Amino acid sequence: MDKLYSLTAGQMKDLLDKREVTAVEITKSVIENIERTDKEIQAYITYNFDQALQQAAGADEKRAKGEQLGELAGIPVALKDNMCTKNLRTTAGSKILGNFVPPYNATVVEKLLADGAVIIGKTTCDEFAMGSSGENSAFQVARNPWDTTRVPGGSSSGSAATVAASQVPLALGSDTGGSIRQPACLTGIVGMKPTYGAVSRYGLIAYGSSLDQIGPMARTVDDTAMLFKAICGRDKMDATSKDYTYTPYGDSVKGMKLGLPKEYFGEGISAEVKEKIYAAVETLKEQGAEIVEVSLPSTDYALSAYYIIACAEASSNLGRFDGVKYGFTGSDRSSLENLYVSSRSEGFGEEVQRRILLGTYVLSSGFYDAYYKKAKMLQKVIRKEFEDALKLCDAIITPLNPTTAFKIGEKSDDPVAMWAGDICTVTLNIAGLPGINVPCGFDSNNMPVGFQVLGRKFSESTLLTIAKCYENTVGGFAVKEF
Amino acid sequence: MEIDIMRLAKLAKLSIPEDKVEEFRSKMESIIQMVENLPDDLDTTGSLVDPDDTMELRKDEVQPSFPRNEMLRNAPYTAAGCILIPKVVD
Repeated sequence: MDKLYSLTAGQMKDLLDKREVTAVEITKSVIENIERTDKEIQAYITYNFDQALQQAAGADEKRAKGEQLGELAGIPVALKDNMCTKNLRTTAGSKILGNFVPPYNATVVEKLLADGAVIIGKTTCDEFAMGSSGENSAFQVARNPWDTTRVPGGSSSGSAATVAASQVPLALGSDTGGSIRQPACLTGIVGMKPTYGAVSRYGLIAYGSSLDQIGPMARTVDDTAMLFKAICGRDKMDATSKDYTYTPYGDSVKGMKLGLPKEYFGEGISAEVKEKIYAAVETLKEQGAEIVEVSLPSTDYALSAYYIIACAEASSNLGRFDGVKYGFTGSDRSSLENLYVSSRSEGFGEEVQRRILLGTYVLSSGFYDAYYKKAKMLQKVIRKEFEDALKLCDAIITPLNPTTAFKIGEKSDDPVAMWAGDICTVTLNIAGLPGINVPCGFDSNNMPVGFQVLGRKFSESTLLTIAKCYENTVGGFAVKEF
Repeated sequence: MEIDIMRLAKLAKLSIPEDKVEEFRSKMESIIQMVENLPDDLDTTGSLVDPDDTMELRKDEVQPSFPRNEMLRNAPYTAAGCILIPKVVD
């Protein structure tokens, strides 16, 4: 069977269950295809091909013996390179972790392996997940499969690109301010940021710990749910993780109330994007959803709150990189102080340094009350506004990104323009809520557009239901032949 | 607003090369201008902690830890099972 690599995880599972293919055959097909296409896509920092083939053989052996198998047994998955993998290099896209080989697995990795998944490799990302285009990687810039002169979004750039280019059916990303949903949107795939606490963060290299969340990326809603199901739930290694029981989703929005917040449809959103989103809302309305207007008045301030909180936490989290215990060590060993400074200055890229500096600034004496404290108070207000709005409806629909994918280099020298693009996604992280990108067509440059469905805490099944209904109604999402 | 970028860098244990100082300063100033967009009438009394989002700690139990050699494998300079750093006392 040719092109096994291009199947969805669901299709692979069917064939495996019927014993029409083996996991090794699938894995070989995936590896060959990555070797053919990845020079152009640049989705991977590290390949895990030898291990992957062994994992696949292990899944086949279990199947042959009739042993109990996980749902993902024999199915290839890619991991963003900020999730620790035992004995497999984990860089977080940074020079400072360029040679870091973790002695342990992140909980999500343990869960995937226990399920029998095949770990194909570690994907390209913005350094420490700080970026919206993938251009802040210390290694390479992943490409958008729909137009390789454009960015795939970020920071889970490689995870989005590898799924969109049909190199693998499934990938994990992490989302602190939109880093799963935005690259999913820009590459035309599904990506879900679960509720804060739904998935363990143990072994995820921290950026903003109170906002970070790992989540699934795939080309179909069913595949997205399949991966989410495998990773969610309480983990004693992450005190913020919650007892979470995965609930099955449906495919009908009949009788559902969907909120449209006017604050998300302002001038900053391109006309083409708005047009596609209104059309998608119309489609859901035709399927029986009731559309109600809701208001989230503090949306304008969300970017400030997000960047203050995220960078404050980052400046503290990244304090551990000192060139002593692990990672890159600086050239100046003339004193301990100089070792710290040279390790950090030579090891961190400019964007990371900028965010550390901003975090240091907003936490520094005399500025704490004006910035950090205010941002945390604003976070409470934003949470309350979402809570109130979500009393009037079952879920909220917004644009996911103000524009479609831009050209590589177009915004890379203007951090403020780059940061401003996160306006539609950061609010969710601030409020700790789940959200999903649903592809909804293409703009005049043939680049994907997506809308965001967000909901109450732990309402992932509602979001998946809405996404599934839309996917069925439009006859599935377009896939780029690559 | 003028940012003392050198002081910030010192606090963050970073050193900014001389030819980059101006660029860092001007980008930081526009970033700070952007994040200054916060409401004036915000109620700043009350706790910063979200009472609805509690954490559950695991039991404090003795468990096997990582072997020392595995932990040291990533350290840049080691000797005799220890991490080496520049001399801190004369």
